Amino acid sequence: MRRILLLMLLMLLSPAIHGSGKQPPKTVIGTDKECIQCHPKQFKEWQASAHAKKQPVAGCLACHGGLHSETASRSRRDRVCVACHGGKEGAVVHSYASSKHGVLMRLEENGYDWTKPLAMANYRAPGCAYCHLHQRNHDVSAGVRADAMNRERPVPDGMRAVCRDCHAPRYTARLFDNGDALLEIGRKKSREAEALVQAAPELGREDQAAVQQQLQKMHQHLQNVRLGAGHQSPDYQWWHGQPALDGDLLRIRGMIDEYRRKHPVQPR
Amino acid sequence: MSKPPRYFWIPLILSLILVPAGFWYVGWSKSGEGAGLYSRQWVPDAMFAYWNPTAFYKPVDTIVGKFEGEQCVACHTSVTPGIVKDWQASRHSHAEKKVYCSNCHGNDHQALHMPTPDICATCHATQHNQFEDEKRFGFPSHALAMERALDAKHFVDKPKAEVTACLHCHSVASKCDSCHTRHRFSAAEARRPEACITCHSGPPHPDDETYFHSKHGQLYLAQGAQWDWSKPLRKGNYPAPTCAYCHMQDGKHQVADKSIWKFGIQKINPLSSGNEIKRKQWIKLCSDCHEPEMAAKSLTALDQERKRAWDKLFQAESLLKGLRRKSLLYPSARQRPPYPGDAPDKLWPREAIGFLEGQSSAFYNVSPIERNYFEMWYFSNLGAYKGAAHGDASFVAKGHQAMELSLESIRKQAETLRTLGKTQPTNIWLNGEYTDYNREHN
Repeated sequence: MRRILLLMLLMLLSPAIHGSGKQPPKTVIGTDKECIQCHPKQFKEWQASAHAKKQPVAGCLACHGGLHSETASRSRRDRVCVACHGGKEGAVVHSYASSKHGVLMRLEENGYDWTKPLAMANYRAPGCAYCHLHQRNHDVSAGVRADAMNRERPVPDGMRAVCRDCHAPRYTARLFDNGDALLEIGRKKSREAEALVQAAPELGREDQAAVQQQLQKMHQHLQNVRLGAGHQSPDYQWWHGQPALDGDLLRIRGMIDEYRRKHPVQPR
Repeated sequence: MSKPPRYFWIPLILSLILVPAGFWYVGWSKSGEGAGLYSRQWVPDAMFAYWNPTAFYKPVDTIVGKFEGEQCVACHTSVTPGIVKDWQASRHSHAEKKVYCSNCHGNDHQALHMPTPDICATCHATQHNQFEDEKRFGFPSHALAMERALDAKHFVDKPKAEVTACLHCHSVASKCDSCHTRHRFSAAEARRPEACITCHSGPPHPDDETYFHSKHGQLYLAQGAQWDWSKPLRKGNYPAPTCAYCHMQDGKHQVADKSIWKFGIQKINPLSSGNEIKRKQWIKLCSDCHEPEMAAKSLTALDQERKRAWDKLFQAESLLKGLRRKSLLYPSARQRPPYPGDAPDKLWPREAIGFLEGQSSAFYNVSPIERNYFEMWYFSNLGAYKGAAHGDASFVAKGHQAMELSLESIRKQAETLRTLGKTQPTNIWLNGEYTDYNREHN
């Protein structure tokens, strides 16, 4: 009888123990729906992010895995992000990995206590999640300026504040200003090339295709500048970025120029 | 005593006038708002304060007062907790006599400074002297990295916000934390190859790719995490060499004294008397693990690879020079935007070809064929060089294959230029959004 009473007491208390009044968490989670019941705030933030809006959707289990005791510590680590974000050799990951933050992470990650929250400089080097999911904000897109060509979308204040966990406010403010200026210079190169192409409708199909291919490379190089500035990789800001854009621009000009010299307009 | 002849007085008077005039001119040209030889031609971007603090840092004046030791720590624990945690884990905070923020940054909050290498030298004099000693060996070296960046023509010519990207790495001359990251300043961290790759990567210096592809690098990747990094970089302490093991032997903060081919951007004589001494130093170093004969053979293999590379590069250079001789390079130096900082260029526009003419600064505002040569020389050639030097055969093969393709395409372009030589030039080279901006902002 006493055992039954104890069990009843436990059943009464269990909603109080587990905040939202639902079932206690299972050891293994099978679907995202099970997570949403207890974590509505994170779900709502996630819904606003590219993880929810873009295909393929990256749901809770994609990053957190199904083992409830390890969900947070697992998803704080960079390796859960790498496969979807272009792999180790891709520009997104490599621009971070070659930065000082990325280097320190590579050297030290196995010594970090990954159960700590993503705040207050709990980690010596910031990983992907430290900045992009700072203080558990599950809207990963909030801090990202995804489109390098769009100047109207500056990096929001929330993202800028993350850096101040470790760096002086004036230093980071200047870095952001410089990043904006770097990107704007890259855009100038891009726009100059596009204007040249637009002013050359006479190009034949083959030359037009070659020029378009170079423009695409240019877009990639502009993305590299964005990633270089965002992830603080000098190599992406510079060698994979600005001088590469210089090369694209002069090659596009060269192609148009060569076509015109080969096909001079006859004076009427 | 006989009267000195006239030919004694003329050179004497001339040199008495010209030598001080030369000194005055250099002093005058360095006294502008910028820094370096062309300092009068540019103004710094706000970030330069951090990359070149000696020339540009100005303290924040919003906080008034003098603070020392624990006082700094007390405030900064909430202002910038990361810095404090990092310092708390460092040797600086565990030393018998703690090294506090104020020891390196000063104590007057309105007159704080960035700790430049000479400030670290207060305690680390040996390392600083070794670092300064690099200057004897010229560039490339860490100690001259800032000076040479500021004196490069493309640095002067380009918008300063753009070339801030360069200073990010060239700041290694101004701050020890390029390798010993702040505020931990760990020796063990700087011994590991990753400490170098933020700057030593990418097309002109793929040191990271080539090292990690090599057997040395593969061993490091497989076992490095288990090695005891507190040990000095000395014979017997590490099963495989890292960047610092070879380039900063015994922890000597001197990376320039053994370099033979240097940056790889010019052909040199690897067997000159000076280089023979360096070869002996390399062989001695490799002999920590290998037979001396094997080390000597590796150096010879590098020379042979370099010879093959320069045979290709000189073919391309002579094609370009041939075109220049017949005024067939198009657009010619007169038909393209000038490099704004270069006065002689305006008087006598001439296309720069090869190292000695300064082509490494001319990779934009040039014709496509010159740019192709620049990429062949600066990217493919240097990739092959790093591959050969670090023991990565795949990078050597890739670099040489890319050079062959470039040479082929340069040949074809030269043919086109010859055919089009007499046609009317177009006038699309001189203007455009960035081209105009670049001309106005440098």
